[in-house]
Amino acid sequence: MSDEKKFAGYICTGCGIGERLDSSQLEMIATREGKMQSCKQHEMLCSSEGVQMIRDDISSEGASHIMIAACSRRAKVEAFNFPEVAMTRANLREGVIWVRPDAPEHQETTQEMADDYIRMACAELRSLKLPHASGEQSLNKTILVVGGGITGMTAALESAAAGYPVHIVEKQGALGGQAAGYAKAIPTRSPYKEPRDTGVAEMIAAIEASGLITVHLNSTVAKTAGAPGRFNVDIATESGAVSNETFGAIIQATGFKLYDPSNLQQYGYSSSPDIVTNAELEKLVKAAAGGPVKRPSDGKEVKAVAFVQNVGQSSSEEGQLSYHSGIGDLIAIKQAMYFKDQNSDCDTTILFNNLRTPGAAGEDFYRAGQEKMITFSKAQVSEVVPGDSLEVKFQDLILDEETSMQADLVVLDVGMMPNSGPDPYAVPIVIDEKAEAASETPRAPTVTVDSILNLDYRQGTDLPHLKNGFTDSHFICFPYETRRTGIYAAGPLRRPMDMRQAQDDAAGAAMKAIQAAENAGKGMAAHPRAGDLSFPSFRMDGCTQCKRCTVECPFGAINEDEKGYPLFNESRCRRCGTCMGACPVRVISFENYSVESVNQQIKNVEVPEEFDEKPRILVLACENDAYPALDQAGMNGVEINPWARVIPVRCLGSVSLSWITDSLNSGYDGIVLMGCAKGDDYQCHFVRGSAMAHERMDKVGDTLSSLNLEPERVVVYEVAITDIERAPKLINDMAETVEKIGLSPFKF
Amino acid sequence: MTEVIATNQTILVVGGGISGLTAALEAAETGKQVVLVEKRPYVGGRVTQLYKYFPKLCFPTCGLEINQRRAKMNPNLTILTMAEVTDIQGDAGNYTASVKISPRYVNDNCTGCGDCARAVSAEFDDEFNYGLGKRKGAYLPHRMAHPQRYVIDPAILGTDEAEKAKTACKVNAVDLEMQEETVSFKAGAVVWATGWQPYDANKIQPYGYDRFQNVVTNVEFERMADPNGPTGGKILRPSDGEVAKNIAFIQCAGSRDKNHLLHCSRICCMATLKQTHYVQEALGDEGKSTIYYIDIRAIDRFEDFYQAVRENPNVSFIKSKVASITQNKENSNPVLNGVDTEGYHRYANEHDLVVLAVGMQPSVDKASFPVDIVINEEGFIEPATENGGIFAAGCSSDALDVNRAVQQATGAALRAIQVVNRVAGTEG
Amino acid sequence: MSDLNSAMTERYHNSFLKEVEANVEEGEWVKMCMQCGVCAGSCPLGNAWEHTPQKLFMMIRAGKREAVLSSDAMWMCTSCYNCIARCPRGLPITHIMHGLAHYAKRLGLVPKNQPTAQFSQIFWDNLMKKGRVNELKLGLAIYFKDGFGQGIKNALANKQLGQNMMKAKRMNAMEFFGGHSIKDTGGLQKMIKKAQEIEDAKIQGNS
Repeated sequence: MSDEKKFAGYICTGCGIGERLDSSQLEMIATREGKMQSCKQHEMLCSSEGVQMIRDDISSEGASHIMIAACSRRAKVEAFNFPEVAMTRANLREGVIWVRPDAPEHQETTQEMADDYIRMACAELRSLKLPHASGEQSLNKTILVVGGGITGMTAALESAAAGYPVHIVEKQGALGGQAAGYAKAIPTRSPYKEPRDTGVAEMIAAIEASGLITVHLNSTVAKTAGAPGRFNVDIATESGAVSNETFGAIIQATGFKLYDPSNLQQYGYSSSPDIVTNAELEKLVKAAAGGPVKRPSDGKEVKAVAFVQNVGQSSSEEGQLSYHSGIGDLIAIKQAMYFKDQNSDCDTTILFNNLRTPGAAGEDFYRAGQEKMITFSKAQVSEVVPGDSLEVKFQDLILDEETSMQADLVVLDVGMMPNSGPDPYAVPIVIDEKAEAASETPRAPTVTVDSILNLDYRQGTDLPHLKNGFTDSHFICFPYETRRTGIYAAGPLRRPMDMRQAQDDAAGAAMKAIQAAENAGKGMAAHPRAGDLSFPSFRMDGCTQCKRCTVECPFGAINEDEKGYPLFNESRCRRCGTCMGACPVRVISFENYSVESVNQQIKNVEVPEEFDEKPRILVLACENDAYPALDQAGMNGVEINPWARVIPVRCLGSVSLSWITDSLNSGYDGIVLMGCAKGDDYQCHFVRGSAMAHERMDKVGDTLSSLNLEPERVVVYEVAITDIERAPKLINDMAETVEKIGLSPFKF
Repeated sequence: MTEVIATNQTILVVGGGISGLTAALEAAETGKQVVLVEKRPYVGGRVTQLYKYFPKLCFPTCGLEINQRRAKMNPNLTILTMAEVTDIQGDAGNYTASVKISPRYVNDNCTGCGDCARAVSAEFDDEFNYGLGKRKGAYLPHRMAHPQRYVIDPAILGTDEAEKAKTACKVNAVDLEMQEETVSFKAGAVVWATGWQPYDANKIQPYGYDRFQNVVTNVEFERMADPNGPTGGKILRPSDGEVAKNIAFIQCAGSRDKNHLLHCSRICCMATLKQTHYVQEALGDEGKSTIYYIDIRAIDRFEDFYQAVRENPNVSFIKSKVASITQNKENSNPVLNGVDTEGYHRYANEHDLVVLAVGMQPSVDKASFPVDIVINEEGFIEPATENGGIFAAGCSSDALDVNRAVQQATGAALRAIQVVNRVAGTEG
Repeated sequence: MSDLNSAMTERYHNSFLKEVEANVEEGEWVKMCMQCGVCAGSCPLGNAWEHTPQKLFMMIRAGKREAVLSSDAMWMCTSCYNCIARCPRGLPITHIMHGLAHYAKRLGLVPKNQPTAQFSQIFWDNLMKKGRVNELKLGLAIYFKDGFGQGIKNALANKQLGQNMMKAKRMNAMEFFGGHSIKDTGGLQKMIKKAQEIEDAKIQGNS
């Protein structure tokens, strides 16, 4: 294809556009002002004839840039799908005629709205290039799995089953992880009645038999550099030897550790060897090798065992876990069965509050436990008193009384804690030793953990944490999306889970890893802009090495070179444009989205002179939530003020302050920014984008005051996709504000 | 005639809810050819009918928008709506599926302009709102429906109404002659993701869902709480349209019960805890919620959410499976009878509205399943090797919340890919 | 404490649940209760219960032998079967209640003057004499169980009922003198005796 640009405009007159608007005027604007070399009208542009017309222009007329003025960019996407050209769309349907009343007195302003959207779409188009992959990308199908427990082994086997080579790096001298120490596992197949074999041995055998899986035992990841498709990893063995491998994607399956109940005096864990954790019981059972379980203190056969559930969990007390492991009750049932299956006369009592045995499997297993005569008591345990016979004191919540029971062995259900590396975004806590010494209350134990991935990233060595150290995704709909592209967490590292869930989770993570490797090979973006070929590039001669882009990228995609210039790693990049919004000198851009492409839209809106009394309100709306909300407002016939000009942005984080200052300078009267929810329950698809934008806009007041403008002219909102009434109202409110405070003095 | 281009390397995904959609998209975004078959006229399934998700209280349409955009942009994905798989023959790597496509009476020309709906006056119970509102005989099932194509209700066929719709359409999208058709095509692997249905509350006779207007289900309550729903987000009593302020939630309505669903449906505890937020949001301190439960199953990270609701003075918890509901004839208030089992306290509590937390019944019909597969006692598909190249995703495999369903569906996509990659390996 | 009661206490020392499993009709179901309380709420006589079925089951699991066996709760059951119909775990609650009552009776742990227990005993004794229920004697025995004066009061209070039964030929004054019987009373008594022996052997030999 030649490099010659050819601009073609298309105006649809269907869906009432032709009736409501003067389409020949639109065409004239497209060609004269918008500089489209051709502009055609069609009564139903999305029909096969309309689409064919465009296709013909592309193939025979050499149209390289096309502007489609029709419905919203969210509608008829399949019809207007021309991946071989650069394209913009002017939203005349949802964005203009559906949000404006069909009455003669509104005709003029409605037409002006449409005129401007044509100008904007043409202007944007002139600043776009068809994105091409950089050519830096390479396909590397090998997957690195860090951690050789059940999750890691499953991830490896599942990846290999799809034909992808895998390396497992395991810190210990053998595969199997925690599960290798278990006697048995919770059942994974219907009827979910009997504990089953852990399957560890079979999995190890399958890994050994696989020609695609390489295992590094006694090894850790010493360094991870690069990006998806070209991760460059140093694998260090205990002996100090380091080997180097390259990978397409990484799965972190480093599992969990258990909560230490030593500090919980009431359970007497430190005072008696016969008070054990659930993990320690597994060892006792394994040691018994099918015979009766002996208690640690005197080797006497255990004839009565009490399971104290939810120890140090679901608690707001300092030093305890605020969450619940979710599987402790299933484990207790399994463990009580060890005793019952060995000797049905052994008394087994599970002291629980809310019995958490969810799903079909959970409820089946609960019933199976009851059938084996495990006693279940809804209880609040207050104390375990050590002694030859242990006394468990509790409040029986059903019988509503303080009572106690005797047991030879007490098993504490302690919670799972993620085995994650240090959180790159943890606020460093400066511990004041003097204050601590003076303080009465004991501090939560501060554990410094070693890095697991040793990422050579500007923003830290490991996967960011969510809450309580879990590296889970925040997104309900997209559970695998971590903030480090191409690195996926799996298993109890993400949230507490049992082996069945961990195995399903491992398969999911393997899916994402394979996908990341494949797409990195094609130079395509990962979720949520999957398939996007554009990537950020920067003009080095303008860069001031301020590092804002490297600090603010939500995905840690940008490193710095030795001089402090940004080093973009395109396959780590999610194409949100937060770097672009961060850059004070406007040197960062994408081929299909740039400071210029939006600036051109802003500039090409016709700002009427002051005496026309027609204000202009710029709306920068996140394309993921706010823009769809405005579209739906159109479908519902909710009115939007005719002074508004809406520009969809990739993420509010991509908003450049220059857009604000430039639009104010060119006479806009108000600016409304709409991003997604930020904070703990953020809905921003790029995690920090919206929050960044809000922070930056805090400082916009200075700009406004330097221009002698009222602060209320620029407002930032969190808007949800469901804000179908509210989003238009926010725009209309700005129109009222402008009416109140008057037009901008910056009009020409 | 619908044409489906597929080979032994194609992945067939049955069901276009959040699980099916996820499996389809993950596979398609890995470069695999995928055909997605969905019974409803649109994708997204039941999550489209939810107001908010727990625990973030965010909006399901937010993720739906992203998923639909992924679907619109992806050339590897073919979506067949109003379509059902009637038969699957063959083995892993070589299946032939037959799919029955019901007529929509609206073709691809549809621009979603809504002229047909404006022309038609006949109204029907709106299934999207569980019959709590009305829709036209020509309708877009919901505002974000994808494909954005209207549907003509077969009930207006042969009437003036149908003709009105046809005449109103300026782009010749209304095709009243459209016929049911059956297409068959190849697939290497199948992801079965037909999801779930709310357990039929009429079967829980003592709760009087069929007799008392002020007894509703949790799925209906989702629509009632949604500001874009049939009541505009007001929580109103069906009997008199008054605002319901004192609301009871009955857990395990059908779940954990050998007379109904044997399994625990996992999500209902969290769904109810979430719905107490709706009450709080709509009514502030005037809204009171009472939860009648056996065990609150707020698993793992959801504990925080549970504790926060526990601390809300407007929400109370009673450990009891409600025995029966009667009605105060004077004000149509439901009266809940039972025993609080913590201690021994009998109650006969009057409420304005009762929400039954009905369980998840898997939409896996053992009797008419198109292919031999291992289905367990509860009706979920087992992860059995005997299932060959057929893999359950989401609530076809277990009672799962959205997050877990998506997680599980992502894994199911990989298992399907393993099969088609083996086919590709042998076919070259 | 009755001999049998001591024997049973000895035999099952710690596990009352096991004792119930072994000796109470349908007792093996007790462990399956999940404490939802729907039986308690569904019982039409619920208000009269000292302990609800679900609570009794919990007490059994908690080893509250005395409290359970001397409770009058299980004597209150009228066999309406509401609890069975509703129990999500399918426990045959009605039968368990009767089983518990029966077992308590055998161990001699029935609360004194428990009216249902008394009625049952009177009914049984009455029936065993002739193999047929003698309505007149049954009525009188119940009226006079608490002494002569109370008996007269009871009889007078229920005068109308008695007259109506006579009119409907459900009761005959002549029954006072012997009354009707089955053909082979001796055979019946032998049969019952044998059944009793079998039952005794079962409970003694049970381990």
